[in-house]
Amino acid sequence: MPGSSKSGGVGGLPSPPHTASPSRPLRPSRYVPVSAATAFLVGSTTLFFCFTCPWLSEQFSVAVPIYNGVIFLFVLANFCMATFMDPGIFPRADEDEDKEDDFRAPLYKTVEIRGIQVRMKWCSTCRFYRPPRCSHCSVCDNCVEDFDHHCPWVNNCIGRRNYRYFFLFLLSLTVHIMGVFGFGLLYVLYHTQQLDRVHSAVTMAVMCVAGLFFIPVAGLTGFHMVLVARGRTTNEQVTGKFRGGVNPFTNGCWKNVSHVLCSSQAPRYLGRKRKPHSVVVQPPFLRPQLTDTQLAAKVLDNGIHGDLHRSKSSLEMMESQSCDAEPPPPPKPELRYPALSRGHQGQHTEESSLLNKAPPTPTMYKYRPTYSSPGKNHTALTHAYANQMSRGDSLKESSSLLQSSQQPGFRSEPSLDGREAPGERGGGGLGGGDRPGGGGAPGSGGGGIPGYSLGGRSYPSFSDPTVLSSGGGGGASHSSSVRSGSAHNATHVSEATTSTSYKSLANQTPPPRNGSLSYDSLLTPSESPDFESAAPDMSPGHHRTPAPPPILGYSSPYLSAQLSQQRDAELHQPSASSVALLSSPHRAHYLQESHPHSHHSQPPPSSAAPQPPHPHHHHHHHHHHHHSSHSSRPPRFSRPPLLSDSAAPHHYPYRTRSTDTPLAPSTHPPRSPHPPPLGKSLSYSSAAAAEMQYRMVRKASASAGGGGAGGGIHAPKDEIQMKLFSRTNGQPRSSISSSGSTPSSPSHPISMSTRPGQAYPSPGNTQSPAHKPGGGVKKVTGVGGTTYEISV
Amino acid sequence: MATEFHNLQELRQSPSLATKVFIQRDYSEGTVCRFQIKFPSELGSRIERTLFEDTVKTLNTYYAEAEKVGGQSYMEGCLACATAYFIFFCMETRYEKVLKKISGYIQEQNEKIYAPRGLLLTDPVERGMRVIEVSVFEDRGSSGSSPSSNVSSGISQR
Repeated sequence: MPGSSKSGGVGGLPSPPHTASPSRPLRPSRYVPVSAATAFLVGSTTLFFCFTCPWLSEQFSVAVPIYNGVIFLFVLANFCMATFMDPGIFPRADEDEDKEDDFRAPLYKTVEIRGIQVRMKWCSTCRFYRPPRCSHCSVCDNCVEDFDHHCPWVNNCIGRRNYRYFFLFLLSLTVHIMGVFGFGLLYVLYHTQQLDRVHSAVTMAVMCVAGLFFIPVAGLTGFHMVLVARGRTTNEQVTGKFRGGVNPFTNGCWKNVSHVLCSSQAPRYLGRKRKPHSVVVQPPFLRPQLTDTQLAAKVLDNGIHGDLHRSKSSLEMMESQSCDAEPPPPPKPELRYPALSRGHQGQHTEESSLLNKAPPTPTMYKYRPTYSSPGKNHTALTHAYANQMSRGDSLKESSSLLQSSQQPGFRSEPSLDGREAPGERGGGGLGGGDRPGGGGAPGSGGGGIPGYSLGGRSYPSFSDPTVLSSGGGGGASHSSSVRSGSAHNATHVSEATTSTSYKSLANQTPPPRNGSLSYDSLLTPSESPDFESAAPDMSPGHHRTPAPPPILGYSSPYLSAQLSQQRDAELHQPSASSVALLSSPHRAHYLQESHPHSHHSQPPPSSAAPQPPHPHHHHHHHHHHHHSSHSSRPPRFSRPPLLSDSAAPHHYPYRTRSTDTPLAPSTHPPRSPHPPPLGKSLSYSSAAAAEMQYRMVRKASASAGGGGAGGGIHAPKDEIQMKLFSRTNGQPRSSISSSGSTPSSPSHPISMSTRPGQAYPSPGNTQSPAHKPGGGVKKVTGVGGTTYEISV
Repeated sequence: MATEFHNLQELRQSPSLATKVFIQRDYSEGTVCRFQIKFPSELGSRIERTLFEDTVKTLNTYYAEAEKVGGQSYMEGCLACATAYFIFFCMETRYEKVLKKISGYIQEQNEKIYAPRGLLLTDPVERGMRVIEVSVFEDRGSSGSSPSSNVSSGISQR
């Protein structure tokens, strides 16, 4: 068949697969459904033609077998096209293309399609941002354009190029089955006296097969007719992307149908004959004449153009992704102990993949694995780890998620301070490196494992102090090693610079769970999301309980812990929510992503309904179960009732294996960043974070009765703020509120490394001050992370 | 002791790839194939904005023509159905025809406009129609002299 790039299983023999990636193992089980389908189709029809048709052509007219023959030919042709035709596989991107996107590029890119924000996800296998409607098929290990689903009956993905043939195959098969059944019935009705004859018996057998297959096939046909009319793909329908929303890809029923049936055959991307470049490029090269304005711009440009670009892009991304922001889900207990989880991949695959599948952090805070050679070790390791982690249905997406989250730049420690005090960071990092499991080799500076482990842990394991500390420590060591100029670490630094703000804003790092009694006693996973939403919470003007200090924009684990302590009671209140705001939308996405048919997914982020944090925890578990029973669940959409019970044909919706995320809710409450009040900021988001922090501190001081902490907060020092608050973790509420002025000490450059190092391993330190009587004692964190108690 | 002599001419004649600029797809109108006309800043010093934008606009019109659902594509579909798709072995589809035209156009543009400026356009279809890859070549004219002088000085010192 023209355009085929892979062999099918027609004939029923497991022939060696001719696949895009030569390393694919032979999997005969893949060919069972297609072989069975072929066998039934060809076998039954042949029997029909041999046993039933002769009598029919004599009795009625020769047109009967001719008609059936034509229909059958049509069925076969479409079946072959659907089976052998390249569905629209994207070739892997070149390495050069990946580099262009830079190391700090986020996991998602948002693009506006007819006014609707659509997220494009980074495909770690194919190394590009998946175009809209594209999805990566894990069975075929390819990104497919306009991915519909992976059909086991044809053992091929159904995508842009072959959807038409698949649809026509279904239509023609339905007609064919009806014809065979009908004419067989006619035969039987005329031969009721001779039912013991072979011909009658065969006809009845064929009728049985036809009748049996009619129900699922007709149901599927009806389903696809609805999809075509609506301009949706199976993937979009099953994952509920446009449920309750607008489909930006529809052009109206008529145009949708004509596009499917009448559009020109889309071209193949793979296996094209590459014309060699016959054009010779030789210097000297022409240069355009610079206009006066351009010259002036050049003169004024002092080399920060690149930075402006970066900050601009971050700004754009932030704006476009503002409605995309989702808080990370509560940390998974498994990921608290990375070594453990790594050791028990099989056990935790479901959970970890469950976690990984969700976009726990706002999209812009995720980073794709780097492609450059220095980072290759890192990437390879992240790949390995991620692949280990995600064995279940989630596939490339979760691994990419994990990989992205494992980026060293994703540390909880912003690198801004690291730059200023590399020594301390390094020290802190080493100290933090002693953390069990989490330490990895933070001092090794940029090794693949530490990088990934740090990122991975700090990201998903919400409440893992180990991860966080190691993440912080590792980050510190990374940043310090960056100074030494290692390319690998340079990426981390570059990530850290621009996205310090990303990190801090996104910093979902939850309060540490183990090793810190105070945290454990005070925190539950469901509470952690509260802190993440601090930042967005500020801007929408969400009302927070005045007593505890306002949540910082950058939730650090310490901060989270402290806040959780303070707002123990309030955690479960619906009003608590910017947390809910962030976490629920995030949750919804998470749910939607991992469970295409999860009816339990929370209302889309647009609703932004504040929900008590606790349900998150339940949802997590629910997710878990949901995920495990993923394959056996019927899809959520209104399936034709015919399909309710059938066996095989139903599997195809579950075989989607697409890792596309649902449409980003456009109505998600956006974070409105404000210009930073003081100081310089490397990026807009960091400035915004600083601003939010500033406001929070102001609020805190106001509520605390004039702590006077607001002053002296500089954008680059926002992390210091974080540290300060984290430092005060474990302190009783009263002391916290009275220590509203603690942020004033941010003017001191505080090393972040020390913080994680000390905060986690020595909960006692924080605890003892925590038990201090609240009256008249102010806790101030000074240089080096030491805490001073000042009596007011 | 190295006895290689590097000819300045040789150095000049192999421009090295400095960077690649990628023109992304414009999805504002859906999945129709369109490329962003936004002029990338990296090319600001290498080619005039109007020339580049014209190229991209022309490519866009070509792609729109290829994807147009009209009489020709409908007839093609019917014919293919009638012949059980064997016609695809014999005939080129409309899209393929337009792609050939595009390829020729890009070749011509490269020869006339881009190569003299040290740029090279890559046919988007080779990248899955996701990006237009513009290879920017290093201007060896200025940098070619130094290596050769170093080499010659190095050799002369022996």
